[in-house]
Amino acid sequence: MDYPRTVGELTDALRQCGYLADRGLSTALLVGMSLHRPVLLEGEVGVGKTEAAKAIATTYGKQLIRLQCYEGIDTNQALYEWDYTRQLLHIRALSEHQLADDRAVSALFGPEFLLERPLLAAVRAGSNAVLLIDEIDRADDEFEAFLLEVLSDFQISIPEVGTISADEPPLVILTSNRTRDLHDALKRRCLYHWIGYPSPERETAIVLARQPEIAETLARKVVAAVQHLRKMDLVKPPGVAETIDWARTLAFLGAQDLTEDLARDTLGAVVKDRDDLEMVHDAVREVTSGG
Amino acid sequence: MMRSGKSPQVADAPFVAALVGFARALRDAGVTVGTGDVLTYCAAMDPLDPTDLADLYWGGRTTLICRHADLETYDEVFARYFLGEDLDAPDVLLRVHSTEQAFGVLNVPLTEPDEDLEQREEETSLGLTASDVDILKAKAFAACTEQERAALRRIMARIRLTPPRRQTRRTRPAPRGRTPDLRRTVRQSMRTGGDPLRLRWRTRRYRLRPLVLFLDVSGSMADYSRALMQFAYSARRAAAKVEVFCFGSRLTRITGQLQGRDPDAAIDQAARTVVDWDGGTRIGESLREFTRRWGRRGLARGAVVVICSDGLDRGDPEVLDSALDRLSRQCHRLVWVNPHLGDDPGFRAQSLGMMVAAPHVDKMLPGHDLRSLERLAALLPDLR
Repeated sequence: MDYPRTVGELTDALRQCGYLADRGLSTALLVGMSLHRPVLLEGEVGVGKTEAAKAIATTYGKQLIRLQCYEGIDTNQALYEWDYTRQLLHIRALSEHQLADDRAVSALFGPEFLLERPLLAAVRAGSNAVLLIDEIDRADDEFEAFLLEVLSDFQISIPEVGTISADEPPLVILTSNRTRDLHDALKRRCLYHWIGYPSPERETAIVLARQPEIAETLARKVVAAVQHLRKMDLVKPPGVAETIDWARTLAFLGAQDLTEDLARDTLGAVVKDRDDLEMVHDAVREVTSGG
Repeated sequence: MMRSGKSPQVADAPFVAALVGFARALRDAGVTVGTGDVLTYCAAMDPLDPTDLADLYWGGRTTLICRHADLETYDEVFARYFLGEDLDAPDVLLRVHSTEQAFGVLNVPLTEPDEDLEQREEETSLGLTASDVDILKAKAFAACTEQERAALRRIMARIRLTPPRRQTRRTRPAPRGRTPDLRRTVRQSMRTGGDPLRLRWRTRRYRLRPLVLFLDVSGSMADYSRALMQFAYSARRAAAKVEVFCFGSRLTRITGQLQGRDPDAAIDQAARTVVDWDGGTRIGESLREFTRRWGRRGLARGAVVVICSDGLDRGDPEVLDSALDRLSRQCHRLVWVNPHLGDDPGFRAQSLGMMVAAPHVDKMLPGHDLRSLERLAALLPDLR
């Protein structure tokens, strides 16, 4: 399926898939698609950065290729790697059967021994894929520099095989939790969008889109409680993911209303720090009163 | 990666001029906007509708801005430029107290050694410069003149701060190691007709731990603040990854200000940023602010944290206790450098703040002169 032409189309299509994007996010994604530029999404934890990429992939029937970054990730884990064990076995087999002609040797570095890693997979898939580079801030800066190179021209040179490039590059979405500042060069290459916490109305709509079986009154109360929690001085304020989790927990328990007792029992779904828990336990009445 | 040959339909001159003008207004407001960004902005108007204010706004925001901190400026400039709102923002005047008055307590010109110095000269054969350096090292920062401070700065620049190292998950080729290096083994075996004669190995790499400095710049620390800033500056130049924060009545991050080449300019600029020179001290609140804004995002994770303060806290000791508790769990090691501790080993921390801090701190050190800072630098690599 082709990408949409207007912001409205994109927002509607995403809504069909249960993802409610605001105007800014839709604009950033649409511009990213049209101009073939990577989109960098930053925001607090649990506001739906990763979900956005997943939703795009599902909506437009694209293959989602995910590169989860972590400390120490290097090019072998991101690009490609030769299958050394198989190569060794193959060499052995060749020499036993005295088959060491040129063709057999060049087959050693053929596609069947090449292990594809996310970036190579994305370049090969081209516009049929959405490449999600998740939590780029966790990778070290050497990796960032390398990524910059790949993102700038979407071609990968493998000495033994040649250059592989994408005719039409995939949509690239990067996410960052801002544990450290990214290099300006990388940021410059990307379109930037900051995802903030949604308004109560929008958050209610998100909960209902994700958990259609939940009663609207309950969703409203949960959202009001979470919004109250965010105003409290918590060490770890709950994100939208936590709101959905809480709603799901309550729905599972068959709750119709968010009472003080129920809230106390299920707080673990939203508040995940001991100090915070103590603080919220003391103020559970205000939290559940919806104010 | 802009596709060439795709000319924006909206590329009529007056419109483009308006967009470029907007970018220039942003630049004037201090946002870094490159020509490439402006091109992208114009190109982005192709799939969007430039007559729609929302598209104009979001298109610009996503193409021209790449820092969360710049968003506020963007909103202001957008309102002014496209909506004609002249936000007459009141000029914020930062009150910067001069710290100069606190210095110059003892004004001994370096070129004229006094009796004491002369005596030392006779005792040792180190020569004038060396003994000068020696005395400077032992002289409390509070008693230094501006001239001496400049000399100290030069010596400080030579202190190399090496935080402890830790193993990373990255590997490098090594003669002996834990995991076999298949890539090199296979390469090698090509020469021997496919027989892997020798196994190659890889081992884990080492990396320096990040260093986070907290400098107290409040009234009770005024004598030391400038020296500590210089220390922070040389630390910033020496170690791989250093974050510097100042606190007094509140917390300010000055890592960016210390990036320049010229130490004096950097320190002056940092001084301008820290508006609470010589204000009251709220260590607890400041540290809590850190754990919430930066610590939670992982800035102190695995780091060695050095707090330079006398522990004279005017805030609630309970806040300090819980903030330190959290900070000590967020970082690897917590070191407290106290200028008022002095050289006396029998000296016990008397201030309430220090008593609260003691159980959370891994190491308590004096920091009143250069020699004690050298001692800190020597201690750092061993903080495993």
